[in-house]
Amino acid sequence: MIKHLIAGIQRGLGLHRPGRSLLILPDDIFLVSFPKSGNTWTRFLLANLRFPNEPATWANINRLIPDPTGTAKRDFDRLPRPRIIKSHECFDPRYPRVIYIVRDPRDVVLSQYHYHRKIRKLDDESPLEQFVTRFLAGETCPHGSWGQNVATWLYTSEASPRFLLLRYEDLVADTARELTKVATFLQLTAAPEQIALAVERSSADRMRQMEKKQTDKNDLVKGSRKDLSFVRAAGSGGWRSELPAPMVARIEAAWGPLMQRLRYELSTQAPKEARDYEAQGILSGRHL
Amino acid sequence: MLGQFKYAVQYVLGLDRAGRHFTVFPDDTFLVSYPKSGNTWVRFLLANLMYPKETVGFANINRLLPAPGVLSKRFLRSLPRPRVMKSHEPFDVRFRKVIYLVRDPRDVAVSEYHFDLKKRYIEADVTLEQFVKRFIAGETSSYGSWWEHAASWIAARQGNPAFLLVRYEDLLADSIGETRKIAEFLGIQSDTERLQAAVERSSADRMRKLEKQQADQWTGTKNTRQEIPFVRAAKSGGWKETLPPQSAEEIEMAWAPLLNFLGYELQSRHLDNTVMPAWVKAGQPL
Repeated sequence: MIKHLIAGIQRGLGLHRPGRSLLILPDDIFLVSFPKSGNTWTRFLLANLRFPNEPATWANINRLIPDPTGTAKRDFDRLPRPRIIKSHECFDPRYPRVIYIVRDPRDVVLSQYHYHRKIRKLDDESPLEQFVTRFLAGETCPHGSWGQNVATWLYTSEASPRFLLLRYEDLVADTARELTKVATFLQLTAAPEQIALAVERSSADRMRQMEKKQTDKNDLVKGSRKDLSFVRAAGSGGWRSELPAPMVARIEAAWGPLMQRLRYELSTQAPKEARDYEAQGILSGRHL
Repeated sequence: MLGQFKYAVQYVLGLDRAGRHFTVFPDDTFLVSYPKSGNTWVRFLLANLMYPKETVGFANINRLLPAPGVLSKRFLRSLPRPRVMKSHEPFDVRFRKVIYLVRDPRDVAVSEYHFDLKKRYIEADVTLEQFVKRFIAGETSSYGSWWEHAASWIAARQGNPAFLLVRYEDLLADSIGETRKIAEFLGIQSDTERLQAAVERSSADRMRKLEKQQADQWTGTKNTRQEIPFVRAAKSGGWKETLPPQSAEEIEMAWAPLLNFLGYELQSRHLDNTVMPAWVKAGQPL
């Protein structure tokens, strides 16, 4: 009851985190992904591009590119528009413009496993295989399974001009090129030098150094194990050496057709539907 | 500022509208549809099936088959579990067990047009042609477009045993058979007599009569234009007479893959081969 009263007072003062009740403005831009798909890195990239006079750090990122579940309502109201807002939600038709980042689920599962050990949701003895089972069932986070999160956005929105799909792997391979795409999508004028500066200020090395100094300044890492870092390999394809083949096969069996649609090559034999899809070269169509 | 304090007080008392912001329990079941797809009819069917001793009407339907969009959090918490609730939300991952009611969007467009006139959401001089363009763009509803709504649920849950896809048209053609499917899905004991009684008590005629008596006692009809009824034709395929061919074609052009998947026959035959991609059809594991 007391807790409820405090929550009520916070609401009166705008100190609560708005979560899903966030008032969305028509020019808002949402940076959406399933967790552990490069969202934080992209937040740094976008913050550094949008606010060149205030280099992004772990201490200010929640204010620059706010998170409805991690930033106070008051801070949302103070942001200059258009706002860029972080989200892990499945499809939401209220989001006016969306940058969606997708990452190979075979890498995502490893990243999430490590992150859950870091934040003490899992102990070191907890078997990876069990985690894969829960990951496939969508039980490792409140944002659906990887397949649900990706499919709801992709199928509803891929043909929309208000939707930009980015692959994490492309972002790793050529960060400047992909960030330029984002700038165009956001109608931000960005000279190559500005893009280069944003990329450099958001490098994995720099993020790692800052993480060491500012680990208590951000809820993503606050109070978590110091021996494991939030910024890990920051690469793609780690699953090839780290994820045992039977677990790879289970993930591919669950989401093979969707993975192929996203150009994630399968190591096991493609399910029949995936082959059909490839043969027909069909695109889903919302012809607006 | 004043509004913020009012909200804070309501929040403390649990009187704020639940909307999307309430605790969903794992044993909840949701009757979900895009607006104007037969949701109210199925609410009556379910309420009559679940509470055979109650006289179900517009005056008590919000209590019997609650709508979180218009009810308080406190009320929702007070309900006995397992709860069965109504919703118009696009995909919501928290809804574990879902009856998804879908209706031919060409009929939905016509129905929504009349409803929006009744509610004074649109001016009386807006034409159906104008309305359909906005309908396709998803600008007539806060729940997204018909495509976004159906696509989000189907992409996320197709093939899941806790997801029951029901076509409004099938429910009209075989009310008892389809209601039986829903009853089984909900684990409600369902002999033919009980099903028959629920279907009769939820007939369009009966609902029309109830609407005349109770229009001012229900959130859906209160303070709306009384010369336009809420319960209209209660038919399928009405669009063939009322929807301009050009508008029907625009809808088909926009959403052919899903219309074909759901078995809604197209007038534009050249779109017959437009199919849903395999990665959606393959569905989601559990």
